[in-house]
Amino acid sequence: MRSISERVSRALAAAPLRTRHLLPLAVIAGVVGLASCDKTITVPEESLPAIAATNVDANAGTWRMLVLTSPDQVVVPDPAPITSAAYQAELTSAKTAQAIMSDAQRAAVQYWTGAGVLRWNQIERELVARFNLPPAPRADGSYPLPDAENPFGDPNFPFANPPYASRAYSYVSVAQYEALKAAWYYKYKFNRPAPSRTDAGIKSAIPASTLPSYPSEDAVLSGVTAEMLKLMFPAAIDEITLKAAQERDAALLSGRATSSDIAAGLALGKAVATLVINRARADGMGAAAGNAAMWKSLADAATAKGEIAWLSQESPARPPMLMNFGSVKAWTMTPAEVTSLEPAPPPSTSSAQMKADLAEVKQTTDNLTREQLAIALKWNDGAGTSTPPGHWNAIASTYVRDAKMSEVRAARVYALLNMAMHDVAVGCWDTKMKNFNPRPAQLDPTIKTTIGLPNFPSYPSGHSTFSGAAATVLGTIFPQGAASFDAMADEAGISRLYGGIHYRSDIVSGKAHGKRIGAWVVNYLSTDGAN
Amino acid sequence: MSRPLPHCAHAGRLAARAPSIARALSLATLLVSPVVAPRTARAQTLEDAELLQPRQAAVTVMYGHDAWDQYWEGSLKRSNGNIGTITTSSITSTVGYGVNKRLTLFASLPYVSTEASQGVLHGMEGRQDFTLMAKYRVANPLIAGRARLKLLAVGAAGIPTSDYTPDFLPMSIGLHSKSLSARGAAHLQDRTGWFIDGFAERKWRANVTLDRSSYYTNGQWIESNEVAMPDVAVYRATVGWQREAWCIPVGLTSQRTLGGGDIRRQDMPFVSNRMNFTAAHAELMYYLPRLAGLRLDLGAAHTLSGRNVGQSTTIMTGLTYAFHL
Repeated sequence: MRSISERVSRALAAAPLRTRHLLPLAVIAGVVGLASCDKTITVPEESLPAIAATNVDANAGTWRMLVLTSPDQVVVPDPAPITSAAYQAELTSAKTAQAIMSDAQRAAVQYWTGAGVLRWNQIERELVARFNLPPAPRADGSYPLPDAENPFGDPNFPFANPPYASRAYSYVSVAQYEALKAAWYYKYKFNRPAPSRTDAGIKSAIPASTLPSYPSEDAVLSGVTAEMLKLMFPAAIDEITLKAAQERDAALLSGRATSSDIAAGLALGKAVATLVINRARADGMGAAAGNAAMWKSLADAATAKGEIAWLSQESPARPPMLMNFGSVKAWTMTPAEVTSLEPAPPPSTSSAQMKADLAEVKQTTDNLTREQLAIALKWNDGAGTSTPPGHWNAIASTYVRDAKMSEVRAARVYALLNMAMHDVAVGCWDTKMKNFNPRPAQLDPTIKTTIGLPNFPSYPSGHSTFSGAAATVLGTIFPQGAASFDAMADEAGISRLYGGIHYRSDIVSGKAHGKRIGAWVVNYLSTDGAN
Repeated sequence: MSRPLPHCAHAGRLAARAPSIARALSLATLLVSPVVAPRTARAQTLEDAELLQPRQAAVTVMYGHDAWDQYWEGSLKRSNGNIGTITTSSITSTVGYGVNKRLTLFASLPYVSTEASQGVLHGMEGRQDFTLMAKYRVANPLIAGRARLKLLAVGAAGIPTSDYTPDFLPMSIGLHSKSLSARGAAHLQDRTGWFIDGFAERKWRANVTLDRSSYYTNGQWIESNEVAMPDVAVYRATVGWQREAWCIPVGLTSQRTLGGGDIRRQDMPFVSNRMNFTAAHAELMYYLPRLAGLRLDLGAAHTLSGRNVGQSTTIMTGLTYAFHL
């Protein structure tokens, strides 16, 4: 903003000042001019490029279904022939819409084109961060529970903490994946070409693809994602529905779909969402918060084993986060299988190893280097963030984008990743509550943390389990990144020691647990027809 | 936020008795740090309207103690059992030099430490932000033959001197933003020793960089490690009286952050929050009778109202030594 300094300079020139005023004043004016600096922030993820998939994955309709029994479980009616008067009228109206596109619509096309799955994942990370705040205590020292029937209240619903978020990411990703596989099935059943291939007067926003347009994959995504997100984040219903409508609008304006492609896609997406939501309503999440009696019995069980039981370090004491999340249904394993993959119990609170582990935390936090603090803060992923699962979704997004995947294959990546992180969260939370192991700051009150202390038992480290699972899944899908993912998982794990909130044994066991479950999920889907 | 003690510099009798400090300028800084972020971010601001004499130098060392146990979460005033009382201690060293009778330069650097009385959060400490300031006297007319008006243009630049993190509020020792400030100040003093003065300041703040790759603030999810810092306006008005070796100014300081989001319910504070406050402050300055050039400064401040800051009470004490080169 040169104008400020110009104005100052002009004022100076006009004033009857003696010359020796001018130098210092000019310096001050220069300071003012320089100061009006550029505040632009570089946000690489916000501009997802239009992706022209290198492979349309024409056989995705045959890939293994996870929740639906078959790709045609939801019936999509036959489309009108492209020679029909009805379809020709749709083409005409699409052309008209393109001709009168506003700047806002043009921006929306740019925003959505070719990156629907990536874009919705980004939107979901934002929603998780927005709703990832613990309830504030009441005056009497108790904590209100977020209420799905009153999502706009204080506290908002949900408290999108790591287990909640891992489940939410997985439901959205699985539902998208199921709906897109069904869409692909019908696309290649009906083989209606993209509008721009039928009518040269329709401009395509990206190089025209051979992907059939009925039903529209954009509309499928808009329908299925909006329904799932409204279930998970009901207080964001207005933005979710606006985004979904914008995505459908962009599908039409970008020349990829006509109104009947979009109507069929929307109906398919919503119908698939209904089936997945039926599963969500019966997966045990409703009881995940637990209650005072369960809290007491968990502590009593640890004490009965001769261990020091976990105590909330918050003031007033807060119930452990989603203490019954370990009973929530997993995606790829039975409860017995969940248990069989869990880590062995931690070192006893009275053991020499625990004493050594505790001393290491004390030694580390008392002598923390700036580099260690940076690592602790980088992986903090605490309140107000997209959580560790969100962090790994962001990491995956770069690879998905660069791989120029079809929407259905991109959805598969997130489904695999997020099923693994949900399943590992179930096992991790079950292990945490079974052992009810105290945090370092409980055993040694002189230990202070450089990140927020999570309000649930220590063993094993959730960051480490999430990261072990995520690195294993992503490393299988993107082998070129495997070493980097593994290094990130190690850094995420050790960040918790640097932060002063975990013992090394939590981290080592957690990562191994995560890798076991990651491998399990990879194996579960190794024969899904997509490889 | 500093509340220096400058007003007393023109004491004629002092000048007669101890010329080297007659116009000494006290740079006591470090008053109030009522920000949820320790307000020592502004501690080095040199707020008075005084100039040093040509080739005169002044050195100030100031100790500040700031504490709050209530803060404003947005506009909601509350306490928090997970932090208890946040105490910020600081030692600020300031050097001033009179280039000529119109222009004085200052350099200032605080060392800051923070501590929470409850909960598990680790205190932080370190060198905070270096400030270089130029004060220039634009005019100095005699009004109605009995009161002297002084008009100043002041420019300052601030730069962090260590790599402390601004991403651990309220324990962080500052906001780690480079800044530039411009200020217009006026000071009117009559022969009986009464004075009034005040200033208006605009501070431009550079983006800060975090150690993480995304953050949520002000209703937005930003996938970047860069944070845009809103600019800040500061206003200050003081009345005071000075006689012989004593000077007693009292006043109000108000900071308005020109943008930024509120702390959300039960969230942590964030570096670019809209941190506003109005604080009352009072100082007492005393020129030590037998030690030429030495002045004792005492000050206190209390935050009356705020937004996204702690309701802090600050006391400070310092010594200034002025001498001719």
